[in-house]
Amino acid sequence: MAQSIAKEFTKGLWAELPPFRLVLGLCPVLAVTQSVENGIGMGLATTFVLICSNFLVSLLRNIIPAKVRIACYIVIIATFVTIVELLMQAFVYELFLKLGIFIPLIVVNCIVLGRAEAFAGKNAPHMAIADGLGMGIGFTLSLGALGAVRESLGAGTILGTPLFGPDFQPFTFMVQAPGAFVCLGLMLCLMNLIGKK
Amino acid sequence: MHKQNKYTVSHAPFWHDGDTIATMNLNLILAALPAAIFGILKFGAPALGVLSLAVSSAILWELAFNFISKRDITIADYDAAAIGMLVGMMLPATAPWWIVLIGTLIAVVVGKMIYGGIGGNPFNPAVVGIAVLLVSWKQIFDFDAALLNYEFGFTALAPLAALKHQGVAAMDLFQTRDLAMGCQVGSIGTVFGAGIILGGIYLILRGYIRWEISLSYVAGILLTAFLFRLVNPDIYASPLFHLFTGYTLLGAFFLATENSSSPVNLVPMIIYGAMGGVMTILIRNIGSYPDGTVFAILLINLINPLIDRIRPKALGKGVNNA
Amino acid sequence: MREMISMVVVLTVLSAFSGGLLATVRSNTQDRIENQVLKFEKAPAIKAILSDVSNDPLQDRFKLTTDGIENTFFVGKQDGKAASVAFETKGKGFEGAIGLMVGIDLETDTVIGVRVTTHSETPGVGSRAKDDPSFASQFEGQSLENGFSVKSDGGAIDAMSGATITSKGVCLAATKAQELYTKLKPEINNQITNLAN
Repeated sequence: MAQSIAKEFTKGLWAELPPFRLVLGLCPVLAVTQSVENGIGMGLATTFVLICSNFLVSLLRNIIPAKVRIACYIVIIATFVTIVELLMQAFVYELFLKLGIFIPLIVVNCIVLGRAEAFAGKNAPHMAIADGLGMGIGFTLSLGALGAVRESLGAGTILGTPLFGPDFQPFTFMVQAPGAFVCLGLMLCLMNLIGKK
Repeated sequence: MHKQNKYTVSHAPFWHDGDTIATMNLNLILAALPAAIFGILKFGAPALGVLSLAVSSAILWELAFNFISKRDITIADYDAAAIGMLVGMMLPATAPWWIVLIGTLIAVVVGKMIYGGIGGNPFNPAVVGIAVLLVSWKQIFDFDAALLNYEFGFTALAPLAALKHQGVAAMDLFQTRDLAMGCQVGSIGTVFGAGIILGGIYLILRGYIRWEISLSYVAGILLTAFLFRLVNPDIYASPLFHLFTGYTLLGAFFLATENSSSPVNLVPMIIYGAMGGVMTILIRNIGSYPDGTVFAILLINLINPLIDRIRPKALGKGVNNA
Repeated sequence: MREMISMVVVLTVLSAFSGGLLATVRSNTQDRIENQVLKFEKAPAIKAILSDVSNDPLQDRFKLTTDGIENTFFVGKQDGKAASVAFETKGKGFEGAIGLMVGIDLETDTVIGVRVTTHSETPGVGSRAKDDPSFASQFEGQSLENGFSVKSDGGAIDAMSGATITSKGVCLAATKAQELYTKLKPEINNQITNLAN
């Protein structure tokens, strides 16, 4: 039992790593990873929604009629997203300003609905939490990693601390939109290279 | 009827005429030499340094990628060398070494190798490299600042930047003949317009590039600039001014004609070239960048697969009542 | 039929539960969010306008309701006496509402300064209303007798080139502030006296 919980948890960290392995949820991956802080903030907000919605969906999986399950999932997910939005406004307002429209858009993030439909709707609550936690942490780490690459090259800083000397001329391409695509592509390439071995 | 539509094929045996990708790329480099040598003579040792570093680093990046991806070594086809040469020619002589290295890295690896190497690239690799540099380090391409310490016997202002900042009055500072003969401030390989045309004509005569693309590109430039001039001569510069400044000629003869990112049929080639010319002038006259050639060529590369669908009807297709 | 009923019941209960949860979270975070908004959006503008006051205008604030709209007024004191008041009005810009913080000297009835607080104007064009101080500084020291308008409308304000609509929006907000101030002046004075006690 404990083994399978561990399995559900770890699959989100590597084998089914959302953005790089499943290539899911790319909208926030591309849009908010200009810096590590934004990436991790977005990742944590998504993780919270994932765990809560997975838990609730799994808890109600025998009550929800099959025909309206998507509508029910959306209600559950939207509720938690709104809660996250309110909490972020109340406690981390600066981060909320930076992430802006992408917080409400967690509702349509395919990872959240995808996990509810593919996993939580068919498995017991403790498994669903493990799954949500694993996926969420995997997502957060991916966003953080992409943010780290883009921030360090594009602005010369990590979490706002300068990395290089004053002579460094930032590679601004990396923090712009096309840089996000190129960077994501190279990360995917690297993942496949490592995964193949 | 255009000759490309006659596919006369005789019986085997066939005889290979000895032409290879390597000879094509060597000819390309040879054709670029007049303009490049002029640049070296004009800007001195730093220009030679930038060009050598660009060519050698482009080859090394390709070699490194060959090793990492465990493919056959492909540097012997001189394609990387040609890309490096073009990247170098589009940089100012004072470009720092790391700019050259990053430019060729992006050109060769991101622009070509990750698509599967030669023939697989949807964009002109050299243009991809330069575009990324241009977006990231705009100040490097400020030729006025870059070449501040040079003494020239002519107006030491980058023509397109002057046009952007001072308006059409700046045009009076330059004679078209001087511009064509290389009396202007700019990147290493693009100041000597006549040399580029010479190289371009050589390539056309040898059949390595398609005259349709070059000609329609130049026509697009001239026509669009002429129309702008017609509407308001107080704001917009003359067609010939646009033709002999910036990357225009290099774009027409060396960049837009790159094999795998340009169309193969007559009508698509003409649309492709003309669009490039039109976009270049639009970006120059309306956009915020002084020179639009780089972005214009990326744009026409992008529409290439689409317009290449305009092609002769294949025999036997499209019969419904069979 | 049973399925029908269960679908309706489940969805209704779920939505009701979600609504209740959201209402609870909202009522618990409302005050904090208001403080956060004040701190991050209004505070910089207020501090910039009421720069030489001895108190904290964020603390000395009161609310007045006119025509069903609630406005918050921030009072600036000098030598323990109320000297100026700042409040926010909205004007219609190119892309939506422009929030404008207007500071008024209570004695001379002139504008001390204005700052754009929130806007959704085009970055680099309309956004200069907020980022470029030379536009906003035109309002400084203007009398409140008449409204404000751009020069092409017969006023005294130079519109920002390329951003006439935004400039007009800012003028509209300033005019609204003038109207509001003229109308509410007795009440404002009242409130300030209350505040002092």
